[in-house]
Amino acid sequence: MKTAPLRGHRPALEGPGFLARADLQVLIDLLREDGRRVIGPTVEDGAIVFDEITSLDDLPRGVGDEQAPGRYRLRRRGDEQLFGYVVGPTAWKKWTFPALVPLTRATKDGHKVEFTPEATDAQRLAFLGARACDLAALGVHDTVFTGSEFVDPDYLARRAQVFIVAVQCTTAASTCFCTSMSTGPEVESGYDVLLTELDGGFLVEVDSGAGRELRDRLPLRPATSAEQYGAAATVAAVRARIGDPVPAAGLQDRLLAQLDHPRWAQVAERCITCGNCTLACPTCFCTTLTQVTDLVGSDAVTSRSWDSCFSPGFAKVAGGSFRSRPRDRYRQWLTHKFGTWWDQFGQSGCVGCGRCITWCPVGIDVRDELNAIAPAVPLVPETPIVEPVAATPNDFVTARVVASRQETADTTTLTLTGIDPAFAKGNTGQFAMVALPGFPPLPISISRFLPDGIELTIRGAGPATKAMCALQVGEQLGLRGPLGNNWPLDRAVGRDLVIVTGGIGLAPLRPVLHAIVADRRRFGDVKLFYGARTPADLLYRDELERWGTRDGIEVSLTVDRAGPDWTGRVGIVTHLFDQAAWDGANMIAFVCGPERMMQATATTLAGRGVTASRIHVTLERHMECGIGLCGHCQMGKYFVCRDGPVFSIGQLGDIFGREGI
Amino acid sequence: MASHAPVAARPRVGVVKFASCDGCQLTLLDLEDELLSVVDHFEIVDFPEASSTRSAGPYDVLFVEGSVSEPAHLERIVELRRRTRTLVTIGACATAGGIQALRNWGDHDAFRSGVYAHPEFIHSLARSTPIAEHVTVDAELRGCPIDPGQLVELLTALTTGRRPQLRDEAVCMECKRLGVVCVMVSKGIPCLGQVTQTGCGAICPRFGRGCYGCFGPREQANAAGLTRHLQMAGDRPREEVGRLFAGFTAYSEPFRSMVTELGGVRTGRTGPAGDTTTTTGGKA
Repeated sequence: MKTAPLRGHRPALEGPGFLARADLQVLIDLLREDGRRVIGPTVEDGAIVFDEITSLDDLPRGVGDEQAPGRYRLRRRGDEQLFGYVVGPTAWKKWTFPALVPLTRATKDGHKVEFTPEATDAQRLAFLGARACDLAALGVHDTVFTGSEFVDPDYLARRAQVFIVAVQCTTAASTCFCTSMSTGPEVESGYDVLLTELDGGFLVEVDSGAGRELRDRLPLRPATSAEQYGAAATVAAVRARIGDPVPAAGLQDRLLAQLDHPRWAQVAERCITCGNCTLACPTCFCTTLTQVTDLVGSDAVTSRSWDSCFSPGFAKVAGGSFRSRPRDRYRQWLTHKFGTWWDQFGQSGCVGCGRCITWCPVGIDVRDELNAIAPAVPLVPETPIVEPVAATPNDFVTARVVASRQETADTTTLTLTGIDPAFAKGNTGQFAMVALPGFPPLPISISRFLPDGIELTIRGAGPATKAMCALQVGEQLGLRGPLGNNWPLDRAVGRDLVIVTGGIGLAPLRPVLHAIVADRRRFGDVKLFYGARTPADLLYRDELERWGTRDGIEVSLTVDRAGPDWTGRVGIVTHLFDQAAWDGANMIAFVCGPERMMQATATTLAGRGVTASRIHVTLERHMECGIGLCGHCQMGKYFVCRDGPVFSIGQLGDIFGREGI
Repeated sequence: MASHAPVAARPRVGVVKFASCDGCQLTLLDLEDELLSVVDHFEIVDFPEASSTRSAGPYDVLFVEGSVSEPAHLERIVELRRRTRTLVTIGACATAGGIQALRNWGDHDAFRSGVYAHPEFIHSLARSTPIAEHVTVDAELRGCPIDPGQLVELLTALTTGRRPQLRDEAVCMECKRLGVVCVMVSKGIPCLGQVTQTGCGAICPRFGRGCYGCFGPREQANAAGLTRHLQMAGDRPREEVGRLFAGFTAYSEPFRSMVTELGGVRTGRTGPAGDTTTTTGGKA
């Protein structure tokens, strides 16, 4: 390890550090020494609000929260956690976008009038305890207030002086839906320092120069692997607990197509139009101007204060209001937040924090309204939920080959029907255990989902796979599945996606490309970097052509050895990828290939700002049962078949690519 | 109404009361910082709470406190309106009928004979009603009592000739701007803030209490929606919910309908008295 001694003795950390819980006081003190007011969570009036923090004792030690539509209660957790709850009634906008801001002073002296801008009282602040949804909300405000040619100077002055100590969520409320809005629960960017609370202290990571400087002044020791795994697993459990309450695919269009839905009138019977949802919302930004004058109006201050589209006067002009009925105002709010916000700002106006649900006095749940007004259109035909009948290792369901296509000299794609109906619920990246009598069953990635079948792309590398490749139309084989987890395609919504793979590695990613093409507008730039040994070894050549020319995917190909007909690139795919121009700030990566290749790719991605939790790989291991019972595929604390095969680099930590694991 | 000719001198201001406790008038006297400036800009010609000087008008601005509650009030308010250019009602009594309007759901004769030894000397109407039920009102300041900030805003608007900036929005908006934690969500305390017009600075929630609606219903107040929620989600008996609305502004719609529907006033009656304004009306 390189040493860069600070304060004479402590070597600088390279990876995540560990901070003892009591030493969080040091962090607070350092921020205050730097001239910052530290704003963080504290218990006040029966809730965890954000307010000025000077000591560790101000934080809600051992306090948890219970949230439901229209209901918030604190409870004792029975532990010492300082961040064992989720977001409360306060949003950080209270400091970056205060409720009342004086804008202009106007004076009148005889016939002379004068207008003077009021000075902003922006201060150096540190936000302690911002969650993933909070950071996403600040990002939304950044776009709204500074993302166009018209910049709000007050916001800019305040926002520029904020140092962010983010905290990973280690718990979820019933009202959370960041997963659906692709904003959390994982904190991925937009912070200076990131804490994950563990027993006894915090895993500490940094994502900025200022964050690194602060880290180097903290009493840290390197975090152990167990601590790193523990942190990742805790956040992963939060994701699992939240689920996907509001399927976001196509939500904008679905919602805007329902302007005449009868539900608008029904929800307006319940809605009090009090405006609490909008002021609790961390992204709502509407304001109104008021004048405060002396008795004769010769000295007047115009101020901006939070307003709400739910108030009757909000859309009033002489003669009446443009949204006179409560149903109009509810519809305005919901369609803006989840629909037209995309058109105006290129992102969702909702970050899934759930504040509007908890703090609605009458408990209207925006998730229920969205699902009722704009129900999700299933990507596969609606079928009853079916568990794989052949989940157990001794039970295979037969499938029939209806087509066999030779992709390359050694690789064949089989189209199968008559399969277990469970495959209809399958997802990109999953696999099947495939068996022929007399041969050991093998895990094979599903390379295409069809309404009544699947495709498997198999490279004839050994006797079993060669026998599978040789199957003729009408012959049968045994299937169990679908098994394993999937590519987190929902996390790629609204982001750029890069897919890096080689050879047969394209097979498990092919359903991802199908899903993207089917719903292209949900995603930003999509790049596919694909390499093969020779031009003849490229899989799915027709589709590659179509994706690149018609379907809006940037396809880059390379081969190790070119023939005379090849006019494209030669070299390994990581080089191709290295040299391309791309920006990782808003990128999710899916990588499939040999582990050395995936490691090299991950390093390149990290160098361009794609954090470890946004890089996903699919792992190959010896699998026999496919459900975590046989033990063959164990990798650290994971069974690759059951917990994977798709993992983020952050999840894997330093076991990824390590020899002998 | 008189013509709106420009006022050359200081506007002549009167302050009068009907059935009320005088608390709103006191708010005017309590404007300590602004009081001298108010006197500089307005000529106070009639203000019994402050001065023995009397005037019979005319008034450029007349502040009217209190509800119409006696037979003599009926003629007096009409007469005052004739002598006034801008008539401003102040407080829950003048704008909504006040707490005394709870008798509108009761048996007026029974009240009189139950309370007074000689009810024949008591000249009161069966219903206590807001000023606007009798004459045209130009502006109103809500609340029990009125808010000094809103009063200054109204005075300022009168001197500068602009529309007073009295927000028509829920009390909740002020709670949220001030960072007050919602008492209904966090403590289960029933609160009328959602259906009540703002202006008080959310004073009750700031001290951990539910709003009891003294500023009266705001525009399009969904009192029925709140009632359904409190009854169903809050599991509260209907009379308890009815009593929430049976306060200082109970006689303003839609609070009035809620009180009638839910039985928030314990009188044995099922509804407010009829429209009669005689002393004998309103038998159950």
